[in-house]
Amino acid sequence: MKYMNLSITKIHEAILKGEVTPLELVKEAIEACKKDDNNSFEYICEKEAIERVDKLDESKKDSLLYGIPVVIKDNYSTKDIPTTGSSNMLNGYVPIFSSEVVLRLEKAGAIVVAKATMDELAMGGSGTTGHLGITYNPWDKSKTHLIGGSSCGSASSVAAGIVPFSIGSDTGDSVRKPASYGALVGFKPSWGRISRFGLFPFATSLDHVAYFTRNVEDSAILLNVLAGRDDKDFSSSFKPVEDYTARLNESVKGKKIAVIKEIMDSISNTSIKEAFNKNIAALKNLGAIVEPVSIDHKLLKAIYPTYIIISCAESTSNNANLDGVKFGPRESGESFEEIMTNTRSKGFSRLIKRRFVIGGYSLLKENQDELFVRAQKCRRLIVDAFNKVFEKYDAIYCPASPKVAPLVSSDSDALSDEYLIADNYMAFANMGGFPSITLPLGFEDNLPFGGNLTGKPFDESGVLSIAKVIENCTGLKDLVAKEGK
Amino acid sequence: MKTVTKEVLKTTANKLMFDMSDEQYDHLVSEFDILIKQMNLIGEIEGVDTAEPMTFPFDVTNDYLREDVATAPENKEEILKNSADVVDGQIRLPKVVK
Repeated sequence: MKYMNLSITKIHEAILKGEVTPLELVKEAIEACKKDDNNSFEYICEKEAIERVDKLDESKKDSLLYGIPVVIKDNYSTKDIPTTGSSNMLNGYVPIFSSEVVLRLEKAGAIVVAKATMDELAMGGSGTTGHLGITYNPWDKSKTHLIGGSSCGSASSVAAGIVPFSIGSDTGDSVRKPASYGALVGFKPSWGRISRFGLFPFATSLDHVAYFTRNVEDSAILLNVLAGRDDKDFSSSFKPVEDYTARLNESVKGKKIAVIKEIMDSISNTSIKEAFNKNIAALKNLGAIVEPVSIDHKLLKAIYPTYIIISCAESTSNNANLDGVKFGPRESGESFEEIMTNTRSKGFSRLIKRRFVIGGYSLLKENQDELFVRAQKCRRLIVDAFNKVFEKYDAIYCPASPKVAPLVSSDSDALSDEYLIADNYMAFANMGGFPSITLPLGFEDNLPFGGNLTGKPFDESGVLSIAKVIENCTGLKDLVAKEGK
Repeated sequence: MKTVTKEVLKTTANKLMFDMSDEQYDHLVSEFDILIKQMNLIGEIEGVDTAEPMTFPFDVTNDYLREDVATAPENKEEILKNSADVVDGQIRLPKVVK
């Protein structure tokens, strides 16, 4: 009997009934990690996981995560476990402390079985730029389609049924986009809802803790474990936490959902549009009020460049500590400056350097007002526009992507509406700190695609309750890639 | 806005303490053609220049300040294991005064 392809609640029941032990679960997950052929892992924590099982406190067996294996993106610090951010700059780095997310998971009894591959330092959306290379989509056995990034290994490990849930991070859509490509639920709660202590910063004002599950209920269960104030993170919210499972069975009747007309107009894929419209019709049948709402087309097109400028600019300072001196491999040099320059020149890949140069260019004295500060001003207008929608609506719902998982060698027209709007609009939720969830919507040629639902800041319970209804309507939950394409 | 040239990008990279190959700079110069067109979309937004810059998703009021208590790390050896060049419990760097 396999357990890793089940939901958290079903695995928990099996533990309580004595059908399976945490050690057996960990061994199942570790063996599956070893057999993985999608390039999902940086490090498999076999020894560490088995040691942790030994230390489990059986009196805490009632915790829903007790004894359940989890995969962690490699940008979360894990004490005594190598953590590289999939960058050669950090090869061999072993943190001396664990991130708050990992501590909370371990306190709840979850067992870290592996660190997941990612786009280098979380700066990418393809799952191709980490130092271990391309991470593939488990739904496509021909190894021609991507799972997407930056949380690629976290996504592929849950999609492949290696673990029931995994931790990622989301600065633009780095969990919610791969979730769409992997038939997963990808949830990014509000900015400040989950502590970021110990998460390698990419763009501090946009970074969010986020995670993958295979159903909405598991997503709520996980938030119950992870949410809450942490003094070690200045941006951690004081807002009281809730029982995020409490409203999961709430009716959608009378709830108002906005569909952004311009996002829909920028999508050409008819399978995605049809599945989305079918889902909307089902929601309406249940009494939801679903209406098209317009947002300035120019503003929507500006989301991506605004995101690129702000995130790249913030990344330059956040990664200034990677100097080759305190940690990571070091190149030789006659001075500290020479060591740092030589190490960074060799350690960072060309794509990371590209992002740093974009950020640096935006911050040049001559450019700062016209690029960086103007992007911050545009961010205000973007967030204001979405907040205006939230004055009248409980949530915004649109397809998470205009396409299924892209081919490894695919290219987009970077100036088209489809690219700038439909493929990159989800960063608005990072700009405004809105809770945002992607969940399966349908399949095209055996490859999945998802919808994305976003709500008001700190209304995680409201978002999860509508998401649960959407999930009930599609019937798409607990999906694991088996035969695939 | 400063015109994008290979020299400008090289200076920018060097300020950030790294360098790239000539081929990489050339490639990036050509990529900036698209990037600048994307960036210019921001300038087309009505009222953008009079908006207040947004630095975080929402205001974070934090009156918590931890006590400033000095502590000696107990795991100095573990910390230093992450550095490539350690001598006598200290990270070694080239001499500043020669």
